[in-house]
Amino acid sequence: MENRTFIVIGIVIALLIGVMAVFLASSQPDGLESTALVIQGQKTLAGSAPGNAEIHESPDGKFSYTAPMPDYSLGEKLGPWGGIIAIIAGTLLAFGLVLGSSRLILTFWSRGKGKPGQ
Amino acid sequence: MHIPDSFMPLTQGLVYWAIALVFIGLSLRWARKDMSEDRIPIVAVLAAGIFALQSFNLPVSMGTSGHLVGGALAAIVLGSPFAAVFILTLVLIVQGVIFGDGGITTMGANIINMGVIGGFVGFYSFKGLMRATGNMNIACFSAAWLACFIPALAAAVEMFLAGTFPLREGLIAMGVYHALIGIIEGFVTVVAIRLIMTARPDIMKLAVPAGQGVGA
Repeated sequence: MENRTFIVIGIVIALLIGVMAVFLASSQPDGLESTALVIQGQKTLAGSAPGNAEIHESPDGKFSYTAPMPDYSLGEKLGPWGGIIAIIAGTLLAFGLVLGSSRLILTFWSRGKGKPGQ
Repeated sequence: MHIPDSFMPLTQGLVYWAIALVFIGLSLRWARKDMSEDRIPIVAVLAAGIFALQSFNLPVSMGTSGHLVGGALAAIVLGSPFAAVFILTLVLIVQGVIFGDGGITTMGANIINMGVIGGFVGFYSFKGLMRATGNMNIACFSAAWLACFIPALAAAVEMFLAGTFPLREGLIAMGVYHALIGIIEGFVTVVAIRLIMTARPDIMKLAVPAGQGVGA
């Protein structure tokens, strides 16, 4: 398979997975969150967390930052469309950032790599 | 497994950042040495795929969900643990800065867990298991499972040092949940590697010598 075809198919698959995630991803806590809920006594190791369970965080002396698209969404107004836009933006951003960084490394850092006398 | 800012004191976060920067530097050296114009778009597609897969949480029972981490996948496909550090660092930057998934001060710890530990455990256990079993599926699945499980234990120790989790309870809960999540990691890694090997067998020549694995 040629590079161009591989890239197009790869990106399309990544975007489809991302869009499916907006509708099908589980809302249950992940492993780290579940552990925090167990430690804080809000859930048992094998049981589910109650609907109102919330991780108590102590922000004292810790850095705080508000992301532009928290939780992969654009707020409640846009509903699932916000999630779709966020996931597409993130997927393309990850692609572009790796592409751009790699090109920069090859262009500026590897200049002359393998050339005789350099 | 993305540790948020509120789970770790700033000073500890900075220590993990300092360690992570050493590995990021080494991953840039890997990119300089091993990356070619032909390979760049493929590495970028892999990053996009890992980002998308990380957003897809699947239920794993016990009231918990999990997703692919991708350290083993990147390291096996590109034939180096530093490939995992390179890709996971950039994916974690996007997740942390744009989506608040994982903290800024804790990003160093997240890079160490998912990129460095995940990449090294995934890559070297894959190599060892390929040598021992000669079976691509078993080697990929087991390496990916370990690359999910071991970083989770490392995160539990970091949470203990941060005063967020007690050690024993943290290790047990993180271990149990990520032993289950590791099954997703293993399955998705095997499927992804099979797809990539079918589409572009040339990409994996560094990780899997010719004649090994495809038919295993």
